[in-house]
Amino acid sequence: MAEAWQFLLRRPDLLSGWTLQHLYIILVANGISLIIAVALGIWITGRGREKIADVVLYLSDIIMTIPSLAMFGFLMPLFAALGLKSYGFGVAVTALVLYGLLPVIRNTYTAIKEVDPAVVEAGRGMGMSELQILTRIKLPLATPVIMAGLRNAVVINIGIAAIAAMIGAGGLGVPIFRGLRNLRMDLIITGAVALTLLAWAADGLLGLLERWLTPEGLKRARKR
Amino acid sequence: MIRLEEVTKVYPDGTEAVRGVTLQVAKGEFCVLLGPSGCGKTTTLKMINRLIPLSSGRITVDGVDIYKVDPNDLRRGIGYAIQEIGLFPHMTVGENIATVPRLLRWPKERIRRRVEELLELVGLVPPEEFSKKYPAELSGGQRQRVGVARALGADPPILLMDEPFGAIDPITRERLQDEFLRIQAEIKKTIVFVTHDINEAVKLGDRIALMREGRLVQYATPAELLAHPKDGFVRDFVGADRTLKALRLLRVREVMEEKPPTVEASKPLAEARERLERLGVNFLPVVDREGRFLGWLNRTNLRPEGRVAEVMTPYSVLATPDTPLNEALSLMFESAVGNLAVVDGEGRLRGLLTFRRLHEVLRESYREEGQG
Amino acid sequence: MRRRIVFLVLLGTFIGLAIWITGIGKLGIYSTFTGQDLLRETGVHLKYVGLGELIAIVVGVSLGVVVSRPWAQRTRLSTVVVGAAGMGQCIPSMALIALMAPILGFGLWAVVVALFVYGLLPILRNTYAGFRSIDPAIIEAAQGMGMSRGQIVRRIELPLARPVIMAGIRTSTVVNVGTAALAVLVGGAGLGRIILTGVLSRQPLITLQGAAPTAALAIVLDFLLDALEDRLTPKGLKVKKSQA
Ligand SMILES: Nc1ncnc2c1ncn2[C@@H]1O[C@H](COP(=O)(O)OP(=O)(O)O)[C@@H](O)[C@H]1O
Ligand SMILES: [Mg+2]
Repeated sequence: MAEAWQFLLRRPDLLSGWTLQHLYIILVANGISLIIAVALGIWITGRGREKIADVVLYLSDIIMTIPSLAMFGFLMPLFAALGLKSYGFGVAVTALVLYGLLPVIRNTYTAIKEVDPAVVEAGRGMGMSELQILTRIKLPLATPVIMAGLRNAVVINIGIAAIAAMIGAGGLGVPIFRGLRNLRMDLIITGAVALTLLAWAADGLLGLLERWLTPEGLKRARKR
Repeated sequence: MIRLEEVTKVYPDGTEAVRGVTLQVAKGEFCVLLGPSGCGKTTTLKMINRLIPLSSGRITVDGVDIYKVDPNDLRRGIGYAIQEIGLFPHMTVGENIATVPRLLRWPKERIRRRVEELLELVGLVPPEEFSKKYPAELSGGQRQRVGVARALGADPPILLMDEPFGAIDPITRERLQDEFLRIQAEIKKTIVFVTHDINEAVKLGDRIALMREGRLVQYATPAELLAHPKDGFVRDFVGADRTLKALRLLRVREVMEEKPPTVEASKPLAEARERLERLGVNFLPVVDREGRFLGWLNRTNLRPEGRVAEVMTPYSVLATPDTPLNEALSLMFESAVGNLAVVDGEGRLRGLLTFRRLHEVLRESYREEGQG
Repeated sequence: MRRRIVFLVLLGTFIGLAIWITGIGKLGIYSTFTGQDLLRETGVHLKYVGLGELIAIVVGVSLGVVVSRPWAQRTRLSTVVVGAAGMGQCIPSMALIALMAPILGFGLWAVVVALFVYGLLPILRNTYAGFRSIDPAIIEAAQGMGMSRGQIVRRIELPLARPVIMAGIRTSTVVNVGTAALAVLVGGAGLGRIILTGVLSRQPLITLQGAAPTAALAIVLDFLLDALEDRLTPKGLKVKKSQA
């Protein structure tokens, strides 16, 4: 512990660099994956798409069961075969986008499916277009659940991004990986603690964001 | 005005929910779709605002085929309230009520005024307070009031309501029905109202469309439905036998209008016209000098010249103060003017039995039954 | 049915890939791992997961039962434990396993303890949630019939909560197949060793040789535990599930 502290005092620039790198990867990956997942999640709630929904949800379920290290193992030869760099940022972000999908797709899908049909019928009966029903009723009601999915996805990805340091993606996995290989306890502890704090902070902040984005009417309904 | 012509609905699974229904709801009329669960009431209602597409037939609103207009425009012009209410939980009461005015892009100030007006109309006062509440903070009865207010949002001439008071406790339901009658007297909408509750139908409806297995069995006023049920199904469903039995215990004397306005047969028509207009009625009983009932003066038969006796319609049926009400009800349908003259042993006019009075009595008797 | 087909296709692909790469033998100056290596590392991998899960199940279920008792709720012990479990679940597996090395030294123990801690949390959470979701009226009825506390837990609560607990065990196991792949970082072996060899030597095919069986292991365990979860669901609860 003391060694880690000394390291921190000696090289604060290194730690902040790794942290920023880590955040950057997460931001890019989860940003892309959020857009894809929400769009896909909305799309598969459409009438007559029940079978597609089933397959999409199952496939993203399967993706989640594949260990992240194995996922890198799949993507690297794939990237190589496509003539892309089989190492580093691109592979890492691709994997994280995939892992970020399931929690958001699933939550978007269930939250929209669970909107009270009477509420939707009332909207339609009053002359709202399908787009208006989506943007004014379904999405606001689903937002807290979608946000919970995003929160989950980000926390998972912070962990996976650390593993991605092994394939040269940078981030807070670097000191851990380096420390483990060279038996540098200070690096291991610094990296592991920073990584954990980052995950906790993301979890807490996204929890706040989730609460902030929850419509007031739903909060009051929950209180009863 | 709403017209359904040979309207049929066959669901994709082959269920024939509505079969060849033809009916017309006049402007300002309160039409109740009545019938046992599954008989196709909801399907019929939702075809009017195109929430369910027709299989065949035609529906017009004010003479315009509903398939000639954009469905969303159509729906914005028709109020819609359902049993589950479907209030938007993430919007305040005010925002809920403002839904259609917003869709129609009314100016803010006008929306605000309209919301307040409606909250007052449905008895949610003070409006400033209720407007800011969320649906989760209201009782069931209050929510249903908001549902009705929301349906009235942009002041549509037509209202479609599907068992709006169905999920509410009997006492509150009774109160909401009374309030709604008061509101309707004020706003005079054309209403199609679905219920499976005969008491509610008789209480609220000007006309009742009784349905069975997708077909329209009888379309008539509540009184006519009782007096002349078309078949055993109608009789059983509206409880005509029971009601008529109950009416037998009442005598005309107890419900007739006493000392009704009359006109003498020898009077000039000009004077009679003035009298009709002053009273605002279409018929007047005609009597002789001694007050004996002779027949009816019908406004449409008025001529510029002449005397009442020359144009009056002689009566065909009569009742006495002791006639049981169930018999009087039957007689009324035979009377040329729908009203029944009540005379004593000497033939002198004692009173008048009107449909309106009879309807009130029927409501009373159904109300008691509904509570019992 | 559709799901079973997807599962079989994926499994076939993973195994096929592993066999194909094993058959290649030489990749430039590197040689691929032999079939024997593959089997041995898979065995080690399974041993880690099995040991970690075994301890995690015993500790997680017992702790979950304790924490869901009324007294634990009154004293807010449950709030504290469940809250801590939630925070624990946020800790990245890489951080957890890495921290075990300075504490427990490199080797088997660091791996097993990390897997145990990591596997514990979903099981604890689900056990607690499973017990909490039981209708209090059912328990009251059981008390009314004169069942002892122990009998109520064993005969009523555990069977009712079992599907949820099993779901927790399944999640925990699948996650740990992935975490066990990191064992190589703290002096362990397992399929992670093959993947890491590929990464360090920049031989994507060798990475794939380790990745394919790891993924196969994960989906097979997921599939089997899902089937077991179905088997162990009391018949009375099944109707609901298939309707849902
Ligand atoms: N979407 C649907 N698909 C198939 N059948 C339906 C559908 N909706 C209603 N039905 C059937 O149509 C008939 C009439 O239903 P409905 O109009 O809801 O009756 P009511 O409102 O009078 O209770 C019933 O037999 C019902 O089961
Ligand atoms: Mg209905």
